Amino acid sequence: MNICKVDDQIAIEVKGIKKNYGHLQALRGVDLKVVKGEIVALIGDNGAGKSTLAKIICGAIQKSEGELYFWGEKTDVQSINHAHKIGVFTVYQDLSLAPDLPVSDNLFLGREIMRNGFLGKLGVLDRKTMRNESKKALAALGIGLKSISVDTRALSGGERQALAIAKAVTWANTALIMDEPTAALGARQSAIVYDTIRAASARGLAVLVISHDIPKMVSFADRIVVLRHGCVVASLEAKKTTLQEVLNFMLGGRGENKDD
Amino acid sequence: MISRAQNQKDNSNSEMTESNQANVKHLSSIEQKELPFYEVILRSTAFWILVILVILTAIFGYLTPNNVFIKPETLFTIGLNASQILILAVGATILLASKNMDLSIGTNLILTSTLAAKVLKIVAGTPQEIMSGSYPNLTNAVIAAIGASIIFGGLFGMINGLIVTKLKMEAFIASLATMMIYWGISLVITQGASEVGIPRALQLGFGHKKLFDLIPYPLIVALIISGVMWLVMRFTKFGLYTCAIGSSAESAERSGIRTDLYIISIFALVGVLAGIAGFFDLARFATTNPQGHQTDGLMAITAAVMGGTSLKGGRASIPGAMLGALIPTIIQTGLVILGVGAFYQMIATGFFLVIAVYLDKKRYAGYLD
Ligand SMILES: Nc1ncnc2c1ncn2[C@@H]1O[C@H](COP(=O)(O)OP(=O)(O)O)[C@@H](O)[C@H]1O
Ligand SMILES: [Mg+2]
Repeated sequence: MNICKVDDQIAIEVKGIKKNYGHLQALRGVDLKVVKGEIVALIGDNGAGKSTLAKIICGAIQKSEGELYFWGEKTDVQSINHAHKIGVFTVYQDLSLAPDLPVSDNLFLGREIMRNGFLGKLGVLDRKTMRNESKKALAALGIGLKSISVDTRALSGGERQALAIAKAVTWANTALIMDEPTAALGARQSAIVYDTIRAASARGLAVLVISHDIPKMVSFADRIVVLRHGCVVASLEAKKTTLQEVLNFMLGGRGENKDD
Repeated sequence: MISRAQNQKDNSNSEMTESNQANVKHLSSIEQKELPFYEVILRSTAFWILVILVILTAIFGYLTPNNVFIKPETLFTIGLNASQILILAVGATILLASKNMDLSIGTNLILTSTLAAKVLKIVAGTPQEIMSGSYPNLTNAVIAAIGASIIFGGLFGMINGLIVTKLKMEAFIASLATMMIYWGISLVITQGASEVGIPRALQLGFGHKKLFDLIPYPLIVALIISGVMWLVMRFTKFGLYTCAIGSSAESAERSGIRTDLYIISIFALVGVLAGIAGFFDLARFATTNPQGHQTDGLMAITAAVMGGTSLKGGRASIPGAMLGALIPTIIQTGLVILGVGAFYQMIATGFFLVIAVYLDKKRYAGYLD
């Protein structure tokens, strides 16, 4: 069954992923697909295993069992760096940015532009180009910052998260993974984040977003995947489902029979 | 390069292009202005340390007989005496920027200079030859001693980095432990005695040598090293990663930086600096000093912090640390010339440390508003 076929539609495929923390089974065989340009909302109660799944896909932790495919190719993601090489970038609820660095340094952190020639070989950064490219990238996402050389610490929570998303969107060419990207934000700032996610999917990125804002997800996402006790209990087309149905799956009720 | 969805115009201005204006969401729109130049200066701790240095120099210049304190020779002698702490303070700054510290650089210096002295004597000639003061392989011996200083210094520094990253210990604890271990090993090796039989040629050729009969060579080397480190911190990826790790190790990790590797490298680099400072002992005094330097690690951190680098990590002010390193030396030299007990130096330095950190805190608080 492991024919290495390359699929240009299925950006992420997760098959039978299990994750054990000692005796605790955080994931008990999860299957999930995210196709190009699709926004999949991962829903579930606290402790359902959402973050664990996201971390496995983005290389932050290793799975215990199961298989991961990107564009149809089986890949064991070794590290966050490895995921970055595949084009998978993650936005976390917090701690995605270094507060003491200027905005442009943060946007390019891990993927700096070096000076040409000898200076570049010595490790000298091309900060001017990085600043200019940062301005363009942020403007393209509709994020208006007055100064690109201001320290990230000086940004508001919403601006910081927008910047964290801009950073991921700028570099991602396969998928964007977001773990509760709006949890710390107000309504207006969340709206900006959702617009940014929408733009990213329009560009062809597969988006996996973890959120507790279920009503919003029902209207915003293309598909809703409900995780419960480490199992996928439902995968629903957002247009054809209702808030009530999602909640039923999430909290028990109809999902019960699939739970082991 | 960056992939951009809608980049039609190359506008290097920070204002949005008109076509973008429509879809620019107004986030709470940052109103932070770029500060005018003089205000940047006034807000920098390094500037205030410089002011303190100038005032101290003026006071000592006024008080010392014939104003001998402000004679160029005196000032350069101060520079020479400060050359080791200068290098160590620069190292401490780099470590603080990464939110680490190394208390052991002083005893690393002692152990490294002891080992380098042994290497030098082994390579220089037979014990008999050295006893009689002839060194048949002098050049090779000096090169070997410099190499040993760099390698041992780097190794002892790296050990701290390994303890911090692999055993997951606080840098304070790790380097407190190695501080004792390195000093203990030095004492075991030397029985507390200074190393004898170091060729005088080392002093004549470097330690006591002066450019234009005025500027001491060790000071020149210390300034070059500090300058290079300043450039590295300010303009290179290594400097950026150091500050990123210190600012938020988690986000650095999440940006794909191998933080452990960098932290180990930073400790090793600072160990190399300590090793070089240790070689200065051999070159200046033609001996080692196993009873001195134990508190150099704390002194280096003091200088760095006085210069405006905080323990919170993420920032480095190497010029500030260089100025901060001069304060204790200036006070000490001034007091010695005045015939006042040099021990007052410690009291004054502690006093200035409190003032500097207080100013820094105030500035930092204002900055966060
Ligand atoms: N590092 C860890 N060590 C032990 N248990 C963990 C660890 N991380 C998560 N868990 C456990 O795994 C389960 C799933 O956690 P998580 O994926 O964070 O859930 P969610 O994000 O859906 O709230 C929880 O029971 C949690 O306590
Ligand atoms: Mg979670």
